[in-house]
Amino acid sequence: MIVVLALVVLAALALVFMFRVARGHAKPADPQRLSQAIRAVDVEAFRNLIDPAEEDFLRKSLAPAQYRAVQRQRLRAAVEYVSCAAQNAAILVAVGDAARRSPDPTIAAAGEKLVDSAVRLRLYAFQAKGKLYIGILLPGTRISPSALVENYERMTGLVFQLSRLEYAARTGASSV
Amino acid sequence: MTLRVLTWNYLIIAPHVLLIVLLVALVRSRTYRQFPAFVAYVASEILQFVVLYPILTLPSVFPPALYAVAYSIGTGLSIGLRLLVLYEVTAYLFRNHELLRRVGGQLFRCMALALLLSALGLAAYTGGMSFHRLLSTLNLLDRTASILQCGLLVGLFSFSSYFGISWRSHAFGIALGLGIFASVELANSSIRTHVGYAYNMYLNYLTMVVYHACVLIWIIYLWAPERSSQYALKTLPEHNLEDWNQELQRLIQRG
Repeated sequence: MIVVLALVVLAALALVFMFRVARGHAKPADPQRLSQAIRAVDVEAFRNLIDPAEEDFLRKSLAPAQYRAVQRQRLRAAVEYVSCAAQNAAILVAVGDAARRSPDPTIAAAGEKLVDSAVRLRLYAFQAKGKLYIGILLPGTRISPSALVENYERMTGLVFQLSRLEYAARTGASSV
Repeated sequence: MTLRVLTWNYLIIAPHVLLIVLLVALVRSRTYRQFPAFVAYVASEILQFVVLYPILTLPSVFPPALYAVAYSIGTGLSIGLRLLVLYEVTAYLFRNHELLRRVGGQLFRCMALALLLSALGLAAYTGGMSFHRLLSTLNLLDRTASILQCGLLVGLFSFSSYFGISWRSHAFGIALGLGIFASVELANSSIRTHVGYAYNMYLNYLTMVVYHACVLIWIIYLWAPERSSQYALKTLPEHNLEDWNQELQRLIQRG
């Protein structure tokens, strides 16, 4: 019964969501007016907030509890910057999309490039925010995709070695 | 003829007459080139009606078991074609975005696998009422497919909404109609799996009304010409997207 109720509620939520999307689709915004909503975001200030050298300096200079508090504040500020940049990118996707359909080939080509850059930023912002939130939860933790890959390869190598040893032990035991 | 019988016949016949109108519109506007799977789905629904309606209304000529088998085959075919239409709409939406096609493709494959495993797990866990083996199996299949379709469509709308991908009217209309039908079918098939034959008439009416509405949505969106941009842009605003992209990429790849 609970499963049925849960599925019915999920179906209802999906329906409401789709109607909201449909309503948004019916009212396209004027891209020229939209571009007035773009806010300037200082990338230098953001760079400073996520600078590893700055982070190391703070870690050495402050007591652990103080370092964690300061680092969390810095990362929350960094999340705000990324969110703002991502919001600008969302506006620029709409602007670029409108430009892509321009009869002027120069504007159309520029629009194409704009959409590509803006979509890329939205994707990177999603990943970066995930990493920043992990940093807020565990300040000082460093997560690198390449380190994850290395660890995974090391782990699979160890599993392979182990299975070879087990096989050798079994065949050695059976021959005895 | 009572009002109930009239309503019943209207709800069975009218959507399929409208589907013929839709098919004509699709062929005339050459939309079949962009959405061949959707055209195949519409044609298949019309064909199913042509086969099933006489079997249903002439029990003296056709044995009842034949309807159950034909209906089951038809339902299986509809489910398969709807999934194919969903794939077609997704491919059409991302055709101009290489990055999104790659990312979206991976994401949707994972989502489809996760949804399918959840739905199959749910089917194994809850089973169904053993009121009729074929109908029970069909119900579980319907529910599994609805979970998959509903989940993927919500994912597609969310994904395109996050990235600000603009939908052309035709693709949006197809996806919206499919999504509404999948959501209602999910609720419907879940209830049916639990209650069996009880409330069957009301659940059937609900399915037919919603299907009628979905066909009307498809006609409204697909009959109208594609919406062109009503806004002309003369200049593009200043931006520093490339600086931000470099910085964020560095952050993501950093250890």
